[in-house]
Amino acid sequence: MISEQGRILERLLSGDFICEISDEDGWRYLKQSANFDAVDQYLATLNRSLSSAADGQVFFAAYRTLGDGERKVLSSQFQEIAAGLLPLVEWLLLVQQSSGSDVPVTQGSTIRSNELQSTIEDTPAYKEQLAKIARYRLFNSNSVEVVGQLNLVFKRLTELGYLMKPNPDKQIYIATGKIDYLYEVLRFIDETEALSLAEQAESAIAQGSLL
Amino acid sequence: MNQNLHQAGVKLLNALSRNADLIMQVYLSGTLHEGDASPGVVDNLKKLGILWRPEAGGPLRLKKAIRNLLEGSLQDERNRQIDTNIGSALASLKTLAQHYKEALAHHRYAEAQAHMNDLSEHVYALTESLGNNVRALFSRINNEFGYVASIDAKIRENELAQSQVSELLSQLEMFRFDELSEVAGSIRELRHLLVVALQQSFSRCTQELSIAQSRLLELLGRFREFRGKTRLLKGFLLHMEQQPDFAPANYANHSQVPALFNLAKPLLQPAAVDVNRVDHEQDLLLLVGRIKALHRSDKPLDEQRAAQAIDVESQGQVELDDKAIHQAVEAYFCEVIDTGKRLTALQYLNSQELDFDPEVWIYQVIGGYQGLAEEDRKFFALEPEVEDHPIFTGNKIVRDIELGLR
Repeated sequence: MISEQGRILERLLSGDFICEISDEDGWRYLKQSANFDAVDQYLATLNRSLSSAADGQVFFAAYRTLGDGERKVLSSQFQEIAAGLLPLVEWLLLVQQSSGSDVPVTQGSTIRSNELQSTIEDTPAYKEQLAKIARYRLFNSNSVEVVGQLNLVFKRLTELGYLMKPNPDKQIYIATGKIDYLYEVLRFIDETEALSLAEQAESAIAQGSLL
Repeated sequence: MNQNLHQAGVKLLNALSRNADLIMQVYLSGTLHEGDASPGVVDNLKKLGILWRPEAGGPLRLKKAIRNLLEGSLQDERNRQIDTNIGSALASLKTLAQHYKEALAHHRYAEAQAHMNDLSEHVYALTESLGNNVRALFSRINNEFGYVASIDAKIRENELAQSQVSELLSQLEMFRFDELSEVAGSIRELRHLLVVALQQSFSRCTQELSIAQSRLLELLGRFREFRGKTRLLKGFLLHMEQQPDFAPANYANHSQVPALFNLAKPLLQPAAVDVNRVDHEQDLLLLVGRIKALHRSDKPLDEQRAAQAIDVESQGQVELDDKAIHQAVEAYFCEVIDTGKRLTALQYLNSQELDFDPEVWIYQVIGGYQGLAEEDRKFFALEPEVEDHPIFTGNKIVRDIELGLR
């Protein structure tokens, strides 16, 4: 029988993000500093360390020391993240706008894909947006139907670990902590590149831009 | 006087119950559509002080007192007003207490009792209004200001609620229990009202308010976070629209890689089977059992069984042209109708020199006759010319058929 620590180590070493949604037991386990240190110690032998982001909402395995090989991996990973940013941001905004509640998708948000589908089908502007999102390389959809595009987007996002489908029979998805990691990445880029994104958005809203 | 008051009150309440539908409609929509109600009823309600017209020419509205009654009893969340005028209520309590003490001192017991009733009314009204205020605040917090849609509106509502809470708290500070107990002196009823009842409601209210305040702050934080996230997303989209070729610098190449981007590569691959482990034997056997056995003996190549090229051609079409014979049968029927004479099928066949096999022709004529509609068939008579079979008795051979009109 595998121990809780072993199970968590396996997930971490498989490249999974551990958050309250994707693995509640594991997340609570790592929240305790003694367990955190133990897992971190174990990972050290493999040149890994336990890292957390978004105020401790997600845990993942990071490299302990960086050689050339590690840097190469990180560099290609970063490029993947950067390339996926725009489609993900557009998708998050689409979900937020079509839900009508003005609440952004964050860890624990539930998305009902059939509700989303009917809203999008009824609104030509959302339909266009979805078609644009689905054509990005991240999703790479050839479908012309809303259903096909949505299904593909949900499938890809579940594969990438941004969404979870707790019940395979129900079309209900839950956003995981990786979504919050995404916000963190955006915030980091915003600060490092001095883009002042929030101010841009605010002034655009003030000018009545159609966002 | 008392009797009159009683009657007037009953009259008012009756008017309320008689026009309950109308009043609820006004409560829900805010104003009265005067077309809906008869002028007599509206006049009566105006006279009783249930409806009033705030501006000349404006629509009729419900009086505040009625609205308060409904809001209080229905626990309607639309009630967002908080009555914070505790100072004046306290002052009137003290005054009434003085009246009561004075009346007692002069042994005017009836008057003292009236003052006492009045005072209890005031105290209970004050405690009730405190309770209502707190309840109204909590119902707004609990549904997270669900009555407004946008996050900005929620933030504004939250700020309003916070200012109401702090107002309420500062008003509560006006409770001076030392003064009140001094006013109450040693009179038991007064002490009970002014000290015990008020203090209970005061402590409950302050406790709940402080919880409400912390919940409001927490909610405000969440709303601000939502707003921040939304702005971040929108801002990024806007930025990408303005500079489509924007790409962040590759932070992985920096000497200090930010912890956020330090993601280790997946390391674990599925483990391999260890056939020498005894305790896995059962599971492995199960797995092996599920493997489908395929027994294919390798046969030598057989020239004749080898695939051969097959020519697929379109087959010569076999056409059954039964149109001509149909038309001929129809013409035969028409002929019989036109001439009105009996005519055998073979006679017709010969006279018209038709190119059909006689047997097929006779079959077709019989078929044509059977195929007619019931009422059409009544007009014709069909008589076969029958001959016994030369060898097999009982069998008949139809040589010809004769068709005529009935």
